[in-house]
Amino acid sequence: MNTRSHRSRQAALLALNVVLALIILVPFFWMVSVSLKPAAEPFSIPARLWPENPTFDNYITAFRPEFRTYFMNSVIVSLSTVIITVSLALLAAYAFTRTHVRLLIIAMTLVIVTQMFPASAIIIPIYKMMKGANLLNTYTSLILAYVTVTLPVAIWMLRGFMANLPLTLEEAAAIDGAGPFRTFFEIIVPLCRPGIVATAVFVLIVTWQEFLFALSFTSTKEMRTLPVGVNDFIGQYGIRYGELMASSVMISMPVVAVFFFLQRQFVAGLTAGAVKG
Amino acid sequence: MILASVTLSSVSKFWGSFVAVEKISLAMADGEFIVLLGPSGCGKSTTMRMIAGLDDPSAGEIRIDDRVVNDLPPGKRDLAMVFQNYGLYPHMTVADNIGYPLKVAGVNREERERQVRAAAERVELGGLLERKPGQLSGGQRQRVALGRAIVRTPKLFLMDEPLSNLDAKLRVYMRAELKHLQRDLGTTTIYVTHDQVEAMTLADRVAVMANGKLQQVGTPLDIYNTPANVFVAGFLGNPPMNLLPIAIADGRVQDSELTLAAPAGVNGAITVGQRPEDMRLSETDAGNMAGEVYTTELLGDSTLVTVKVGKNLVAVKTDKNTKVHMGENVGIRFDPKHLHFFDTTSGTRVAFDASR
Repeated sequence: MNTRSHRSRQAALLALNVVLALIILVPFFWMVSVSLKPAAEPFSIPARLWPENPTFDNYITAFRPEFRTYFMNSVIVSLSTVIITVSLALLAAYAFTRTHVRLLIIAMTLVIVTQMFPASAIIIPIYKMMKGANLLNTYTSLILAYVTVTLPVAIWMLRGFMANLPLTLEEAAAIDGAGPFRTFFEIIVPLCRPGIVATAVFVLIVTWQEFLFALSFTSTKEMRTLPVGVNDFIGQYGIRYGELMASSVMISMPVVAVFFFLQRQFVAGLTAGAVKG
Repeated sequence: MILASVTLSSVSKFWGSFVAVEKISLAMADGEFIVLLGPSGCGKSTTMRMIAGLDDPSAGEIRIDDRVVNDLPPGKRDLAMVFQNYGLYPHMTVADNIGYPLKVAGVNREERERQVRAAAERVELGGLLERKPGQLSGGQRQRVALGRAIVRTPKLFLMDEPLSNLDAKLRVYMRAELKHLQRDLGTTTIYVTHDQVEAMTLADRVAVMANGKLQQVGTPLDIYNTPANVFVAGFLGNPPMNLLPIAIADGRVQDSELTLAAPAGVNGAITVGQRPEDMRLSETDAGNMAGEVYTTELLGDSTLVTVKVGKNLVAVKTDKNTKVHMGENVGIRFDPKHLHFFDTTSGTRVAFDASR
């Protein structure tokens, strides 16, 4: 390839990257901007990119006692889901990776089939089950529903990761006298760390932002999670954009922080299964 | 010293209709260094993996000492194994890698540290105990694998091509070291390789395998001097034995470029063999056969002359100062004391009366 066409190709790629970044970042920027505008400003004409008189008033209003309850609910539900899903997925993925039993291989494929149904299609049967089990308006109902939704993907993510671990390590452990559980906890799990991080972040994001189940299964303010809670600012007669956006910023922060600290491991975990090392 | 004998009785391994190992019977004595030698895919690694307990035999019986171990998990067989790609735990330090078998066995920390240090000294890894395998060279990783194998003084060592990932120079060095270590410890060792030099230099006895079958078992000198069949004759030696198909009837070699007094009692389709170093070049009319020089290669200590005789290429190892040129006609003379005869159909060695 000659240098000129190479350079124009580079330029085109750069332009494409900039456009993509803008598409993703502009709404985010707008959210932060609106959250800092005083109540009168969001719809002032001409519209301003950045508030004329930035203020944290919206944050102070948004950070009300209810917000703190919602936040705690979200943390409890999300973390429980992450822990349960990742633990179960690790065990299942290992079993699926090292098996040659045909029935399990079929089961592995069936796991993916569960992903074919949209949440709105499964929510009514799950709702009826939760009602039957007397679990509505509890953390358990949400955690169970979230584990159901995230577990199949988590199993497949971890399986891709484990399939790439050399079999020799498990054989070496067997020779060294370690039984299957010891091998799993002392050899397999530590080596899967990047995969575990990637899977955990994925599960966290899915559950942290989940709206439909949370709205349907919780009926009191005490049980609400953050995505449902921000709806408080959408009233019958108007939407309080400033507080809504301030809440949204605060909701995003934990996920952004997690991503910021774990992004290298996250990317390593996602790409691990893709290329033979 | 704790040693083990290993006995295989008609051990076979099939995967579906594919026969990886067919009815192997082999007895290994206490303290012996035995090498399973063969080309890739001959079943030697599978045989070792069955002894280790990593693969289950489809038929037959494996005994360690007098105990049948077919159903015993690898960890209960009191053996250590060194893998071709080392099989080190990448998330553990060198010390933890070497100490892992002890940790599993429930040895307490102090005792573990003492034994790990002793094993590390022995394989010359003293200063590297806190490193991770990723920070080590190939040779050092191999030493860690060896350290992990010797740390708990097992009854039996299994080594699956342990040197084949090392570069040529290091391989020669580690080979000597391995031999020394094994003699020193006196532990029964089974070693798998496709490299005949490793087999010849390391083994007390070599077991040559091909196509899942045992071809010959014997001391390195035995299998080199008296190969049991055409395969062994053609596999060992560099270059391997010259093998020429001939027909013998009525005690005479029929229609051949070869002038040879047929030995008594040898008849039919025969393959005659002789090693390149046992042959001599001669005048065209003074040898057992004659042909045109195909190539000459100076090897340093000798010259390898390849001669085209009829359709066959015959290698002759001669003095390094031999002056023959490509295209020249030469004769080749056999050493009658070192002739080998094989049945061409079955490939097996034919006994004959050499006194004639």
